[in-house]
Amino acid sequence: MNGTALLDSALDELLERIRPVLAVVQNGRRGAGAGVLAGDGLVVTNLHVVGRAHSVQVLLYDDTQYEAHVVATDPKVDLALLQIPQNGHAAAVFSSGNPRPGELVYAFGHPWGSRNVLTGGVLSAVTSLRTRKGLVPILRADVQLAPGNSGGPLLNAAGEVLGLNSMIFGGDQSVAIPASLIRSFLAGARTDKLPEAVL
Amino acid sequence: MSNILVELSNSMAEAVEKAAASTVMVNARRRMPASGIAYEDDLILTANHVVEREDGITVLLPDGSEAEARLAGRDPGSDLALLRLEKKRLTPAEPARQARIGQIVLALGRPSQAGIEASLGVVSAMGGPVLTPNGSIDKYIRTDATPYPGFSGGPLVDADGRVVGINTSGFGRGVTLTIPAETAWKIAEQLARSGSVKRGYLGVRSEPVELSDAAREALKRAQSTGLLLVSVERGSPAEAAKLIVGDILVGIDGQPVTEHDALFARLAGDVVGKPIPVEVLRGGKPQTFVVEIGARP
Repeated sequence: MNGTALLDSALDELLERIRPVLAVVQNGRRGAGAGVLAGDGLVVTNLHVVGRAHSVQVLLYDDTQYEAHVVATDPKVDLALLQIPQNGHAAAVFSSGNPRPGELVYAFGHPWGSRNVLTGGVLSAVTSLRTRKGLVPILRADVQLAPGNSGGPLLNAAGEVLGLNSMIFGGDQSVAIPASLIRSFLAGARTDKLPEAVL
Repeated sequence: MSNILVELSNSMAEAVEKAAASTVMVNARRRMPASGIAYEDDLILTANHVVEREDGITVLLPDGSEAEARLAGRDPGSDLALLRLEKKRLTPAEPARQARIGQIVLALGRPSQAGIEASLGVVSAMGGPVLTPNGSIDKYIRTDATPYPGFSGGPLVDADGRVVGINTSGFGRGVTLTIPAETAWKIAEQLARSGSVKRGYLGVRSEPVELSDAAREALKRAQSTGLLLVSVERGSPAEAAKLIVGDILVGIDGQPVTEHDALFARLAGDVVGKPIPVEVLRGGKPQTFVVEIGARP
């Protein structure tokens, strides 16, 4: 096999491995975004995908569908946590390493409603963004994003989640909430120390 | 876990790290800062259009420290400028050899304190010579790597972190071009020596014309156009070399000249003061005159 064929098969393998952790998050007529399974029946997504709803529909890769409850939100970093029944779903691995500019990244989501689409690029910058709610640490990448990518993972070459793609901050540039923020959001939600929990 | 994707990813991140050690932030304009690369351990090559002021230029070095810089020279024709630091504090960038279409490249910049930034692409096209708003460049590279704001003056690097060229959006029309490392290094050398790039001057006005069948045959090569000399300036290098109105200029320095751009490009090199053979058709016959090229006034 030449280099390109090796890359192709490595990419196929990556896609197979990560497909079970990607969900579709639907909020009635508001449209659909993506979400990442985080273990214990928890699905992390963008708050702007969920809006003010208390429950949304979650569709998994095997076409099983669940009514999910919104268990925690953090408007400052545009994150929301959803709960579906715990029945042995796959869980994403959130990267604990330092993201490196130039490393390969893949955005995984449902751009324009096309399901399970992978778009590739590199990590462009580890930086922060000044928003109305304060300074938010972010990752920028040169991957193509479209509506439907929001809440989906930005993956590294090993298939670990580097961040959560969040179209709302980026404009035409791809912006992701870094894994470190998602980890602390998850940890906070799990210990019920919810800064702004909707229970 | 290790596979070919992870290896490729690591090697690209390493290429960025290597080139980042030679990429600086250049603070010399009112709006957001731009980028530059270390040409020597006290010289920074950047884009001319981002150097809006000559006083109070500062650079942010890869180690996070700030230094003052002086303008050592600028060449609006190629949109390159050279800055000099007081102390030798830089790690010079390593230029790459010839670029290839389809080759993987990364565009780099350091437009903020947050650190190095990168985007991925391939070499999409190569061309030149081309006229620029203030002169010309002999060669250019185009890439599909995203040019983020503040990337002007930063490097386009190969998969080993070597500099393929310098990116600039300074030629207008919303287009970012890359000045190949070979061209940029030659210009930097002249800027370091004399602060400006002298462009060659013949002292003729010309217009492109079709060559007759007989003339083409006499040339013994596939060339269908040349430049008809419609005037020769008094006291010019061309007059001294005995070129006359009616000559058709068909070659310079061993290279065919079919249009103005080719002649401009040849005169943009390091030719001032040098004897250069100029080939013309006179009375349908090829003749060569040696012209001592002057400096454009």
